[in-house]
Parts: sequence; C-alpha cells; structure tokens
Amino acid sequence: MNAYRTLRPAAFALGCTVVLAGCAGPGPRPDSELLSAASAIEQAEASQARQYEPVLLNQAQNKIADARELLDREEHDRARRLLHQAEVDAQLAGARSETAKARQAVDEINRNIESLRTQMNEAAQ
Amino acid sequence: MTLRTLITSATLGALVLLTGCAGAPKQNPVVDEAQILYDQIKNDPAVARSASTQLRSARKNLEEAQALLEDDADTSSVEHRAYLALRHAEIAREQGLRSELEAEVANAEERRKQLELQRKELELAQKQSELQRSAEEAEALRRRMEAMQAEQTERGMVLTLGDVLFDVGKADLKPAAERTIDRLAEFMRAYPERRVLIEGYTDSTGDEGFNQRLSENRAGSVRDALAANGVSPGRIDTRGFGEAYPKASNDNASGRQQNRRVEIVISDEQGNIQTR
Repeated sequence: MNAYRTLRPAAFALGCTVVLAGCAGPGPRPDSELLSAASAIEQAEASQARQYEPVLLNQAQNKIADARELLDREEHDRARRLLHQAEVDAQLAGARSETAKARQAVDEINRNIESLRTQMNEAAQ
Repeated sequence: MTLRTLITSATLGALVLLTGCAGAPKQNPVVDEAQILYDQIKNDPAVARSASTQLRSARKNLEEAQALLEDDADTSSVEHRAYLALRHAEIAREQGLRSELEAEVANAEERRKQLELQRKELELAQKQSELQRSAEEAEALRRRMEAMQAEQTERGMVLTLGDVLFDVGKADLKPAAERTIDRLAEFMRAYPERRVLIEGYTDSTGDEGFNQRLSENRAGSVRDALAANGVSPGRIDTRGFGEAYPKASNDNASGRQQNRRVEIVISDEQGNIQTR
C-alpha cells in the first residue's frame, strides 16, 4: 500500500507525459511537406498568381519561411502545419488566378462579339 | 490505496492536462466557416464536375476538424484542420467557377464563329448587289450614250454635232439640234459629276481668223443651249480649234463637211477630260 502511495505522483507524471507527447511531440521532419509546398508555390506562379493574387501568394511564401525557422529549432509538428497551410494557400492563389484569367477571356470574347455585331449593324445600313 | 486508485490518479492527471491542452468548446468559428462554405458548394454541379478531388479533401478535413472538436482536442489542432477544409472548399469553388467561365468562353466562341459566318455572307451579298448595281449603272449609261449617238474614242465619249445643225457660215443652232441638246442635258442631270468640253472645228476654206471665231462661236452656241436646258455653265468648257484637227480630207466636199463640226467630249466620273 505504501509502495502504491509513493508511486502515485510518478503515475500522475506518466499520464502527463503521455498526453504531452500526443499534443506536441517532435514527430518526423516534414521534408516531403516542404517539397509539396514549394511545388505548390511554383504552380501558382505558373498561373501568374504573382500578378493576380500577390497577397495570398506572399502569405504562402511567408508560411514556408516561418516553417524553415521552426525546422531549425526542430519544431517539426508546428512546421508541418504551416507547410500544409502554405500549400493550400498557394493552391488557392493559383486557382483564383485561373478564375481571373477565365473571366478576362469571357470579357474579351464578349467584346469581340459586341464589336462584330456593331460592324454588322453598320454594314447593314 | 489500490492499483485502481493509482490508475485513477494517472487518468486524472491526463485529464487535467488534456483540459489545459484543449479546452475547446464544441463550437468553433473556423469549423463553422468551413462547414458553411462546404454546404454552399457541395451540391454545385460545376464543382462536382471539375473539383471533385478538392471537394473530397474539404470534406475529409472538415470531418477531421469536427472529430477533433468532439474529442475536445486543442483549438489549434481543430482550427488547423478547419483551415485546410476551408481552403480546399475555396479552391473547389474557384475550380467550379473557372469551369463555368470556360464553358461560357466555348459557347461565346461558337456564337462568334456563327456571327463571323453571317458577316461574311452579308459582305458577299453586299458585294454582289454592289456589282449588280454598278452593272445596271453601266448599262444605263451605255443606253443613254447610245441614245445620244455618242462614240467611244481614246479621249472618252464624244458626241458629234454635224455641220447640218448650223446655219451656213453662222454660229446659230438649227431647231433640228434640239433633240440632241435635250438628250445631252438630260444626261448631264443624270450624271452630275460629269463635265463636258465643247470643241468647235471648221474646214480649211475661207479666212483662218474667221474660221477660228466661227469654231469658238459654234461651241458657245452649244454651251448656251445646254445652259438654257438647266446645265450649270460651270460644268461646261468650250474651245474653238478652227481648221485644226480635220477629221477627213479638206480636198473634197464630203471631207470638208465632216470637218465642219462641234464635238462634245464627256468627262469621266471624276470630271476629268483629256484636252487636245
């Protein structure tokens, strides 16, 4: 019984450690996440996000930079989250750029059609 | 103290820490935001068609965020998942929009092609009717010229008034010339851009100065007759050539008669006349 009593604080500490490990353990280095995020940035840039979505693209790049600093301090899990976010931020920047370009294409062809109609109306008179 | 109480203590310690670590309410604004957007787009056919992968990622992350929330996981874990869910849903929405816009471009392209085709047909029809009109105009001109008995020469259309239309040795036009003058005046009214040059000629008999004056006066008579028929004098030039430019030999009577004449040269559409 006495043995159990002395063991009690140790057991409490053990429980704490188990939970702490689950909550903020170092985990493996997120190297593949780093690659994915960088490649998402490249794809966004290929979609001209630098021109159409510069703020969101910068946000994604800042997250990658922050993640690199966390990796230097071996805070792998926090770095991993930032890299996941950077990846989807960059993907969204690229997707919005593509939408913007498609919208421009719609406007352009509608202008073309309008000027064709005008030309035809003038020619018919 | 039993083993059971020890286990209870350990569990209690874990729970205390878990509460400190998570402590999230069952509601989370980021999860709600992701849920709202996901609900908005999940039944959008354009999203279903073009963004199924992103939509699936959105749902997976949303479900994980909700599970973490239910399990009282820490707020940052929940919100991280919810953030990813929200972003995937936003990407899916953009991809859906893009595919709709691209479909719109394709439709508009089809419409543009049809319009282009219609325009070409219209242009062709206009060109044909223009050709037909100018053919009709040319035909009308030819008929009028024919009616005036004008001949095509290297200087253009030339209408010749013979000596018989003038009194002998005088500039006055005989009434027989009226018909020709009327037709010419009518022609000038129909083609207001055209001008005429009226040229008088004589044969070589008699005084050269007299012949010169006679040729000028006969040309003047024709001008006056045209002006009296309503042709603006500004469109008429006259010249007398006297004995110059005979049409035939002055050695015989019939040649001399051909040389005594007034020629009316009709300009082109721009009003240009080739002068001698």
